[in-house]
Amino acid sequence: MAYHLSIFVENRPGKLEKITKVLADNGINIRAISVASAGEFGVVKLLVNEGDRAFAALREQNITVSKRRILVILLPDSPGAMYDLLVVLSEKNINLEDCYGFVVERKKQAAVVIEAEKYPLAEGVLKEKGYKLLSDQELAAI
Amino acid sequence: MYWEENLETMNEGALKEMQLKLVNQTLVKAAEAPFYRNISGKKLRTLEEIRELPFTRKQDLRDHFPYGFLRTDLSEAVRLHSSSGTTGNPTVVFHTRADIENWTNQVARSMYMIGVRPGDVFQNTMGYGLFTGGLGFHYGAEKIGALTIPIGPGNSKRQIWFMQTFGTTVVHILPSYALRLYSIFEEMSVDPKKDTKLKSFIIGSEPHSEELRREIEDLFGVRAYNSYGLSEVCGPGVGFECSCQKGIHLWEDYYYVEIIDPETGEVLPDGEEGELVLTTLQREAMPLLRYRTGDLTRVLPGKCECGRVHKRIERIKGRADDMLIINGVNIFPIQIEETIMRTPGVGKNYLIEVKTENFMDKLYVKVEVDKEIFEGTLAALTGLQKKLTEELKAEITVTPTVQLVEPGTLPVWEGKAKRVQDLRSK
Ligand SMILES: [Zn+2]
Repeated sequence: MAYHLSIFVENRPGKLEKITKVLADNGINIRAISVASAGEFGVVKLLVNEGDRAFAALREQNITVSKRRILVILLPDSPGAMYDLLVVLSEKNINLEDCYGFVVERKKQAAVVIEAEKYPLAEGVLKEKGYKLLSDQELAAI
Repeated sequence: MYWEENLETMNEGALKEMQLKLVNQTLVKAAEAPFYRNISGKKLRTLEEIRELPFTRKQDLRDHFPYGFLRTDLSEAVRLHSSSGTTGNPTVVFHTRADIENWTNQVARSMYMIGVRPGDVFQNTMGYGLFTGGLGFHYGAEKIGALTIPIGPGNSKRQIWFMQTFGTTVVHILPSYALRLYSIFEEMSVDPKKDTKLKSFIIGSEPHSEELRREIEDLFGVRAYNSYGLSEVCGPGVGFECSCQKGIHLWEDYYYVEIIDPETGEVLPDGEEGELVLTTLQREAMPLLRYRTGDLTRVLPGKCECGRVHKRIERIKGRADDMLIINGVNIFPIQIEETIMRTPGVGKNYLIEVKTENFMDKLYVKVEVDKEIFEGTLAALTGLQKKLTEELKAEITVTPTVQLVEPGTLPVWEGKAKRVQDLRSK
């Protein structure tokens, strides 16, 4: 099972900087980052190589952070791959609460991170269709 | 269970008779002070006739600084207390030895009422010095025979160390500081419920909500009692909650109580909300007649289950001068506090800002996200913001802009919390 970190931030200069500094100071690698904003505040999602350590370090600094369960799906880095994946999910009526991607190996492999409302169902459907899902350990090893 | 059974449980008729006698004695004494010269010879036949006397206001005390209200020779005064006014004249209050003894007795009676006895350890975290909160309780606790620790405010770790080391049972504390102190307990991994002998908190000096009192009781595993007082008539001990926790008994053998309409000055019947007006009945150095406290409350109708005859007032809703008028609507900060306290997902610290935007008043309420409850979705945060906005609107009828901020970013005050910033262009 994999998870990413979800962090409450005020939309003010320096706020995101503070978070990334905590991670840098602790030698933690950021794999991917996504920001959703609702005006004066927002939520930053961070995918890192050492989730537990990052979580502890951020809490230590009084940062409002929680862990959210995710699915990380390996896709070929080619046209249409994302479309195919979304069709599989929408056919089963699975809503995505959050979705972002990152390149694993240039021109070869990409990964898509999703937060799905029906987590076990989404996992089952994707495995059935032959998608490769990354575990925490595999994610850390990238 | 009573400190002075006769005085606390006498019947209403006897109390009224006693008050009339004491008011008339006070009028004779007051006429000896320069400010009250022209009431000389006035005698009341009924207590209601007190309405013929003019009010005394805080501004009068300032205008007649320093001796305008002093009726005795200065050599008879043994103590001076003063407000910490930074502009203009401070409010100065003199006490004779008898005044100090009476004051001490009021505090002792109040503390005895909530169960303080010899053998208790009383930690007084209020400020000593010119402020009456510290010394008033200090003498009252000693009079009962409780071991009194005059630690004063601040240095939270040392406060907790004293509590643990000497088995403190009773604490006198500002409600806002109680919350801050709890966070230090957490930081030190000390559980006040298991690791201390705390049983009662005395909270006062700043208006607070019922929700905040219950919160303090739950956090520390104590019962928290509301204390009322003002330095112009002595200090703390003017009124106190009994163990029923249903209103504050005002000691009517020491004060004559009226509630008035702050606009018209008209005396209101019991049950109606208005400004508390007090006439001192036993003060020697500085009697005050119909003193406008500025505190808004109402007299609770009916008898208290504890058997005391003395009138009860509801917890102070705010000060007449704390009231915010936002686009013509009257709002008390305490209403906002109460709403925040009962909304899960936000912290207890808050900041109220009023600004002028497009020639209109605009109300901002800043609250901290509770990091223990944060589940990590933007939808939950916008939902929380919307819910609090709606709850506030239902309470105050004005729609505020609720701003969610990161925990630990709003200022925490160790002293009296100032949570309202009026930034309107005058
Ligand atoms: Zn009572």
